Amino acid sequence: MNARNAALIPSFQRPVSKVLIRRAANYKQELASLIYESLCEFNLPINDKTVLLKPNLVGLDPLGIMNTHPAVVAAAREAFLRLGASQVLIGDGPAMDRDTEAIIESVRLREFAGPLARTFVDLNVDDVERVPLKTQASRLRELYLPKTALGVDFLVSMPKLKTHHWAGVTLSLKNMFGVVPGSCYGWPKNILHWAGIDRAILDINAAVGPDFAIVDGIVGMEGNGPIQGTPKECGVLVLGDDPVAVDATCCRVMGFNPIKFKYLARAGTLLGHVAAEKIQQRGESIASVRKPFAVLDAFRQVVE
Amino acid sequence: MGTSDTSPANKRVTDRMGTQTEVRFVESVCLPLLRSAQNSDGGWGFHPGSESRTEPTCWALQALLQCSWQEIPEAAVRGFQFVREAQLRDGAWPSARAEQVGCWVTALACWVLLAEENSSNAVAMGLDWLCKDWPRDSTLWRRFLARFSSQRDIFPINNSYRGWGWTPGTSSWVEPTAFALLAFAECPTELLPPAAGRRRKLAEAMLRDRMCPGGGWNCGNPLVYGVAGEPLIIPTVWALLALRNRPEQRENVLSLEWLEKNVANIHGPGSFALARLCLEAYGRRWPSDAPEFGSFHEKNEFLRNIQVAAWSCLALGAKRGFLAAGWPFGVTS
Repeated sequence: MNARNAALIPSFQRPVSKVLIRRAANYKQELASLIYESLCEFNLPINDKTVLLKPNLVGLDPLGIMNTHPAVVAAAREAFLRLGASQVLIGDGPAMDRDTEAIIESVRLREFAGPLARTFVDLNVDDVERVPLKTQASRLRELYLPKTALGVDFLVSMPKLKTHHWAGVTLSLKNMFGVVPGSCYGWPKNILHWAGIDRAILDINAAVGPDFAIVDGIVGMEGNGPIQGTPKECGVLVLGDDPVAVDATCCRVMGFNPIKFKYLARAGTLLGHVAAEKIQQRGESIASVRKPFAVLDAFRQVVE
Repeated sequence: MGTSDTSPANKRVTDRMGTQTEVRFVESVCLPLLRSAQNSDGGWGFHPGSESRTEPTCWALQALLQCSWQEIPEAAVRGFQFVREAQLRDGAWPSARAEQVGCWVTALACWVLLAEENSSNAVAMGLDWLCKDWPRDSTLWRRFLARFSSQRDIFPINNSYRGWGWTPGTSSWVEPTAFALLAFAECPTELLPPAAGRRRKLAEAMLRDRMCPGGGWNCGNPLVYGVAGEPLIIPTVWALLALRNRPEQRENVLSLEWLEKNVANIHGPGSFALARLCLEAYGRRWPSDAPEFGSFHEKNEFLRNIQVAAWSCLALGAKRGFLAAGWPFGVTS
């Protein structure tokens, strides 16, 4: 059994989750200290541990619109090192383009995070391990998943705050599609679409669940996301050690009812909290940072 | 940087390269990396020290063969053995050895094994598996259902054309379709299954149908929600190479133009190497404003990716025609 298997605990047995919303006006401000101070509120077991930051890198993005901004990734890396991590890796397996190096160069990740030859892990071409899927929400029974993602001590999902034309929103849970290796399943990872995106999100997060989530909501994306949408300035970072609660909070910030997203509603039964009364909001209030996002017609029903 | 290898095989590299800088790059970086990264089981992983996998082994083999001359190097002999042993009973190849189900790498394995005389049976079985592996999205039943689906407007493609998926039971996509077409194109007629002709016609039509509106290909979504998909270098290269038997066709012309225009904007060495390989296979001039190839390695050491090093070998050896003029060992289409 891999070390990353998420604990499946019914929500009524889970303690209240804590989600922190921080204002961050733009990517030029000092983000490392902001994230470090935020992480300190969670008392995370990071000392001497290996951390993997999993940003959302979906494609060539010279304008910084569709991917998690490299300034946020670099700042999180610095913050985890300050917290005492022995190693902080950055890794993703982009879904649509197999030239991962082209993507990280187009977003200027190296400029922000320093040399990447031994820091960045292309999860699409990592060594893989067979992982039986214990939730079996989809028709998938097993997946071959990257050993780096399975083996690290602490995994951080770092999505961008975006709408998604198939899933409705793509946040820290959907971001974990990026750990499924293209070298086994292709570009795109079409087997997940056939298995049902909503159900596959649950299976993946139960098998290789993130320990923490940091959502880049400084500039998000609305409309026809995750690639062809419109930039949406929100000026927030959303952080927490319950990725389901973080995603639910992000939905509320975006003006959506999280329960209306099938995968979030299901995740709220076993993987974390969706219900507002089970989430302790820290930092900024949702109401003070709420910025309703435009959605495609197919998702009109999710708008609160 | 490794030291220059003066073995006979490497001296022949010099005969085949374009510029001294490129020769030095292949000799000092790419080939030493490939040679040192071969595992004891004969295969290559995606990175030095990682477990052997079908895809990087196929590309490393292609590169070693391209950079050699008449004889097959000993490293390649062990590589061929790894590939043969990785084949599943049904004729397919899995991506990783532990997997029990074959996938798109079957085309790559067949393609590379064509260079090895003892592998005819393995190739024939692999090609037979490919001919029987139909995509699930374009069955008669699915096509009937699609008439009533809203997806028809969101994702307007002609689903009577059928290529190959990345994994069995999924949809047709550009790259696996192109790889299968390349394997069929390189294969001697006597090894081709009876259904190969029909599959090739359908797959070529599928590739042409999936071209982005202004030329070039992405993974296979030319239009989503009414917005034109952005082409990408790597799928464009493989589609163009798979369709190179009809260079005068509109899709080829438009996509070559798109590729030439975009060489200067390439960010990754894998895309860069393949773009060069493709343009030279089509006899196009390499743009004079293209960046120096070695400069990519200075940035991230190719992320230590064996496959990118192999593609670089193939691209820098392209003057003598990987794909353009057939195999150095005499097995041609």
